[in-house]
Amino acid sequence: MNLEKSSIVILMWLLSGIVFGEQEIERFSISPLQGESKVRMRHSMDVHGMVMNENKDVLPEGCDKISGDIDITVSAGRKFAEKFNGKTFAYDQQQWNMQPCSRVTVRFINDDPIRHQFMIHGLPRYLYPPSGMFHIELTGPGEKTATFILPAEQKTYLVHCELTQHMENGMKAQIKVGEGDGDLPSIPGLTAEVTPDRYPINWTWKPAVIFAISIILGLIVLRLIKSRLVATGLIRR
Amino acid sequence: MNKTGVLIVVLSLVILLWGAVSIFPWVNGQSGVAIPPTAELEGNESSMEKLCGVKSDKWRVEREVDGVVVAESRRCLPDNPWEVAAVVKGTNNISMMALMNTRLASDAVIKQNDLDGDGDPDEIHIKLEVAELNGSSPDGDFFLPTYDIAPGIQPGLWVFAPKTRGMAAINLFSYEAIPELRAPSPVIRVERGDSVKITLENTHYLPHTIHLHGVDHPYINQQGRGNDGVPVTDEPPVMPGESKTYSLKPRQTGTMFYHCHVQTDKHLMMGLQGMFVVEENRPNNWLQTLNIGAGHVRHSSVAVNESYDHEYDLHYQNIDKELNEIIQSTNDPRLIAKKMNREYDITQASPDYFLLNGHSFPYTLRDSLIVADPNGRIKLRIVNGQSDIVAVHTHGHKATVTHNDGIKMPEATQLTRDVYDLAPAQRADLSLSTTDDGLHSYGPGVWLFHNHAEKGITTGGRGPGGDISMIVYRSFLQPDGMPKLQGADVSRFLDPRYYAGDVSVWGRSSEARSLGEPSLVRPNLVAIVALGLMIGLILGLVYWMHRARKRLVR
Repeated sequence: MNLEKSSIVILMWLLSGIVFGEQEIERFSISPLQGESKVRMRHSMDVHGMVMNENKDVLPEGCDKISGDIDITVSAGRKFAEKFNGKTFAYDQQQWNMQPCSRVTVRFINDDPIRHQFMIHGLPRYLYPPSGMFHIELTGPGEKTATFILPAEQKTYLVHCELTQHMENGMKAQIKVGEGDGDLPSIPGLTAEVTPDRYPINWTWKPAVIFAISIILGLIVLRLIKSRLVATGLIRR
Repeated sequence: MNKTGVLIVVLSLVILLWGAVSIFPWVNGQSGVAIPPTAELEGNESSMEKLCGVKSDKWRVEREVDGVVVAESRRCLPDNPWEVAAVVKGTNNISMMALMNTRLASDAVIKQNDLDGDGDPDEIHIKLEVAELNGSSPDGDFFLPTYDIAPGIQPGLWVFAPKTRGMAAINLFSYEAIPELRAPSPVIRVERGDSVKITLENTHYLPHTIHLHGVDHPYINQQGRGNDGVPVTDEPPVMPGESKTYSLKPRQTGTMFYHCHVQTDKHLMMGLQGMFVVEENRPNNWLQTLNIGAGHVRHSSVAVNESYDHEYDLHYQNIDKELNEIIQSTNDPRLIAKKMNREYDITQASPDYFLLNGHSFPYTLRDSLIVADPNGRIKLRIVNGQSDIVAVHTHGHKATVTHNDGIKMPEATQLTRDVYDLAPAQRADLSLSTTDDGLHSYGPGVWLFHNHAEKGITTGGRGPGGDISMIVYRSFLQPDGMPKLQGADVSRFLDPRYYAGDVSVWGRSSEARSLGEPSLVRPNLVAIVALGLMIGLILGLVYWMHRARKRLVR
């Protein structure tokens, strides 16, 4: 089979009744498996990369119809991290606001001669089995376009690159559906880190002098308060 | 108050102090007649990790995948046979169904063009990424993806990794790294005369290179750029997010080495090192281009198959905790570079962990056993990636050193011995005969093999650990690939508390009753009450004296 010539779609026969419940962790907000999976996991792969769980037409529960079509272009690469101090990789945007039940078409562009990903977690598992993931991956420079449909609830979804240390070093973003349900941490330029780094402080004579003056000021204030209290007769001399 | 009064008070103070000191309940209690019994080990044995835990033989049996015969591998955790087949045929030639059973990217190993017309492809293109294991995250106090070298031990590591696809963790519900992301960096196998390209896709946040140590390669590559991977002589290193292709057409065979040459004393010791084997050119010689995690070669070359029954790659590494903790202490690459290159000092280093094929005992039993049959011959390739000498000793066997640093020794100078010493970066090829003649082998059994530089058999200074593994004859092998250990209790070594030094060496074994940990002695309450009263008296006396003096002055 020649991969160069054609993109081959493989349907992976994935179990509809996988029970993950007990092992769920807080790393990604995973929606519980609601009933039977509506669809099987979908996977297309070629030399340029792959797409997992593309969904152009199956509506999530709670959506009567597709509320609208949204087209976004997302670029990934080292150059987008240049404006973020201490970060190495990034997307060209860090946040998207979208309406519930939107059909989102992502044109994902990789500007680097290395692998990058556009991976979303937390989607309904019955529609994006087995773990609620929609994923575009590019093995090198190039682009791929794929579509998914957002569920009805107001929620914030994580978008990231799962190569080791890529999310940790800046390739992280969020999609807010409606109002969203809060912000994710450590998004470059957007939200604070949970465990921030400690940087060396530039100690000069200035803060030392200011510190000394503060102590003297404190003593003077104490003196003033005491004389006030004596004057009003609240305490004895 | 007169002089006598003062004398009495001072004297009673001294007596009280002496009394307090003598009954002070020190940290270690005296037992008297009642010597404390041996403590029961806390925790439930059944909740502990299993030595193997993988019952299925699916990956262990001999299997033909897309026409590639993948040899049986009777270890607890054998290499994925579909992955072996994919790197033998090339990820561009293997069927999509087989590729889906691996986590390799479709361009991980490209093989094409039979240039010499002998039935195997001669243009080989290998892509390597740089993965960080047990790295830190700004999202919380945890490491990811995790890679345990021994129970409960997760040092930060960098490895060259085969180009994979999808997630770096085994699934969404775990931080555990996929099996492709592990130490050591994969063994690379090519044929003599192959036109080889190795592309380093630097997926990491620091610059790296590949230096082909001992492998015949031109100083300048096909694009006219530096090809030696040394930033000092060559050209700038491969920056984060960039890639570079090294090209070679090796004219000599042998067991060689490759490693990163950027800040070598740090980057090599962080794990950016692997074995590189150039095999003889033979017809229909489809090679297992990558041996992920080293160990058993499930598809050996034609030349090796002519002389040997099995082939094993043995990669020794050591880890200095202080170096490897740096990437777990902070996230900003600038701070990591500063701590690593300007504050850490390898001349002060003392290694803490010792790895054979990326694991320390008892995890070495899962994937680095040498499984032997009587009257056979096994080829062992050893590389020393440590900062110190290794002196590998095989129990029950004397093997013959056929090659040093990839060069075949003349027959007359091939030494048969039981300790094989290698300086850092040296390689040796051994021929291990299992003929029971009292010289080459003492007969079937479970025979230890380990580094006899004694540090090497410890994990954080606690043994048995380090790079200990075993040569196991098939008749001594259990169905799950674990050696039959004649009733010995090895489960205690699976307890993370063991290597943390929190429990007795003897665990729950039969020796535990007499050699375990004495249970804690109860504090002496009477002594504590007496001490309290005495301290009270002392304080009272001092205060009373102070008052008396004040009154006197007035």
